[in-house]
Amino acid sequence: MKITLRVIGGLALRLGFTAQEREVPPGTTAGLLLADLGIGDPQTVITTRNGWGIAPDEVLEAGDRILVSPPFSGG
Amino acid sequence: MHGWMGQILRVDLTAKTWRREAFTEEFAHTWIGGRGFAVKLLYDELLPGIDPLGPENKLVVAVGPISGISAPNTGKTVVAAKSPMTGGYGDGNLGTRVTEKLRKAGYDALIIEGRAEAPTLLYIDDEKVEFLPADEIWGKGTYETNDWIYARYGKGAGVLNIGQAGENLVRYAVIRSMEGRAGGRPGMGAVMGSKLLKAIVVKGSRPIPQAFPAEMKVLGRDDLRAVHALDQKSGWSKQGTTGVLPWCNEVAALPVDNFRRTHHPEAWKVDGERLEAATVAVYGCPNCTMQCGIAMHDDRGRESELDYENMGLLGPNLGLFDIAQVATLNYMCDDYGIDTISGGGVLGFYADAVARGAAPGSLRFGDFKGFEAVLTAIAHRDGEVGDILAEGTLRAARAFGHGSEEYAMQCKGLEVSAYNCKFIPGMALAFGVSPIGAHHKESWIISYEIQQTPRESYGRDKAQKVVDLQRIRGGLFEAIVSCRFPWIEEGWGLEHYPKYFNAVTGLEWQLEDFWPSSDRIYALIKLFWLREFPDTDRKADYPPHAWFDPANADTEGPIAGKILEYDKYDSLLQHYYDIRGYDRRGIPTRETLERLGLAAEARAAEAFAALS
Repeated sequence: MKITLRVIGGLALRLGFTAQEREVPPGTTAGLLLADLGIGDPQTVITTRNGWGIAPDEVLEAGDRILVSPPFSGG
Repeated sequence: MHGWMGQILRVDLTAKTWRREAFTEEFAHTWIGGRGFAVKLLYDELLPGIDPLGPENKLVVAVGPISGISAPNTGKTVVAAKSPMTGGYGDGNLGTRVTEKLRKAGYDALIIEGRAEAPTLLYIDDEKVEFLPADEIWGKGTYETNDWIYARYGKGAGVLNIGQAGENLVRYAVIRSMEGRAGGRPGMGAVMGSKLLKAIVVKGSRPIPQAFPAEMKVLGRDDLRAVHALDQKSGWSKQGTTGVLPWCNEVAALPVDNFRRTHHPEAWKVDGERLEAATVAVYGCPNCTMQCGIAMHDDRGRESELDYENMGLLGPNLGLFDIAQVATLNYMCDDYGIDTISGGGVLGFYADAVARGAAPGSLRFGDFKGFEAVLTAIAHRDGEVGDILAEGTLRAARAFGHGSEEYAMQCKGLEVSAYNCKFIPGMALAFGVSPIGAHHKESWIISYEIQQTPRESYGRDKAQKVVDLQRIRGGLFEAIVSCRFPWIEEGWGLEHYPKYFNAVTGLEWQLEDFWPSSDRIYALIKLFWLREFPDTDRKADYPPHAWFDPANADTEGPIAGKILEYDKYDSLLQHYYDIRGYDRRGIPTRETLERLGLAAEARAAEAFAALS
């Protein structure tokens, strides 16, 4: 199934992309997606699905819009 | 006494006199420095009810025990006074060479009293204090003023100055320092202007007394390198704080059109990626190895240093999505010495009020030229509208009437920073209980709220998190006076800060030892407000009505149909008071004050209002 994935801030620099459509197997969790990106500890980033926080064990759904952000403490 | 210079410089602009005053070790250990010194001095010395723009108000410039030491992010200074915006305690911090120079001139704080007869430049150089004419730079913007000062005193001098906004008593005028640095949102620049004080220039050459200088030198050098290495790895400073803009847009927390909307399809045009691509220079505070002052050319080719708050509030909040135009408004704010957060808030409010027929004029969201003109009018208090808007959103709403106060995006009279909390209860609480009026620096709970707890919850954990963050950000960092960015953005642990503190003071404090000081500072700020507003109640800690108005709920997007609820917010607020030991009005109880060592201050407050 397809999801859209966006990474922002310094994380985009590290991962080498800012946005992509991505094919993931059904049953993929947010944690697995992060692991695929080389982010072993989900607590080191902020991950949202369609504008809402998503826990590492939550299963992704087709069409999800996932955004992964590095930690921020405001402007 | 190691770590502190042990002296305060008191300057009287009316009499053109000055004197040094020693403070005790007990004072130093109780109040630490920075905000702690500032609130204690202002509480003890200001009579309630004074005009914040009158000669009776005092401006405090205060640094902390690690200020100016060569260690990560120790280049900041706190500026504080009774706020012309709120009528309560006001402060802010900014990166400046004054931090190190003031210490090396022999002082941990500077108290400025009275009012000069004519525009004045206060010059401090070790033993010397001079009151110099500033007629040549009065009426000039902050950039030209800084250049004028650098030409005479050298680029290494510490400088604080104001632009036309401070001179014209725009209530949200800030104090500016080097390059894009600014501080003192609640009108500290207006306080300087009211004293006809155009600039402060500081030089100093004394050593800062340290308990273990050799150890501190190695520790500071290694840690500056370590933070730099972390930043190289994280890439944070490529976009600085502007990296957060697309996240706010995604989670429906971006201010768009005076906070009416929470996200916008064109927000990407003014985000960190666009700024990174347009970068022409990067600036930072002294002792910073992760510099975030990212500058681009504005639409007239001038260098404009952008961060998230000014990008959000001078961009989407005004319906503007051309980054060069945003940079232009930002440059103008910086040059006039207008706070970019309040400036953007006021402009957005005015466009909203015009659209609703509450205010005169033809300004519309997206009208860049219109915003330029209104901003210029504000800085000079030109015309009736410019004069009204120079008073800030709350006063402007009261002047315009027609129910416009309901969408004046402020708390306690200070405009909300660039986080739209229509459906973010904890962050709304953070704004509501911020001790200087709405500001994000005290407690940025929003990422915790989105990621680690149900967003819709009004649970006690959120109130606890606000308190925890206030202790760290508004207490520890504002008292030792250090930038918070290495902590979260680079993962630089809090355990490092007691190491610096102990190396310079010779004390053996653990991190936990700072929390009582932090709570003491917050409690005394509350007493400052209580003396000014004896009839205050918990409503003073409520965020703007627009975040509770069902008619203002989003109609599409992630939080469509959702809005804050008053009764639930009130219970969240009560959790906060319970954790802090405050009564139902939001005032520290006598028991809390005594526990924090504030019995004498409590007695002083009781002359004006009852304590529980």
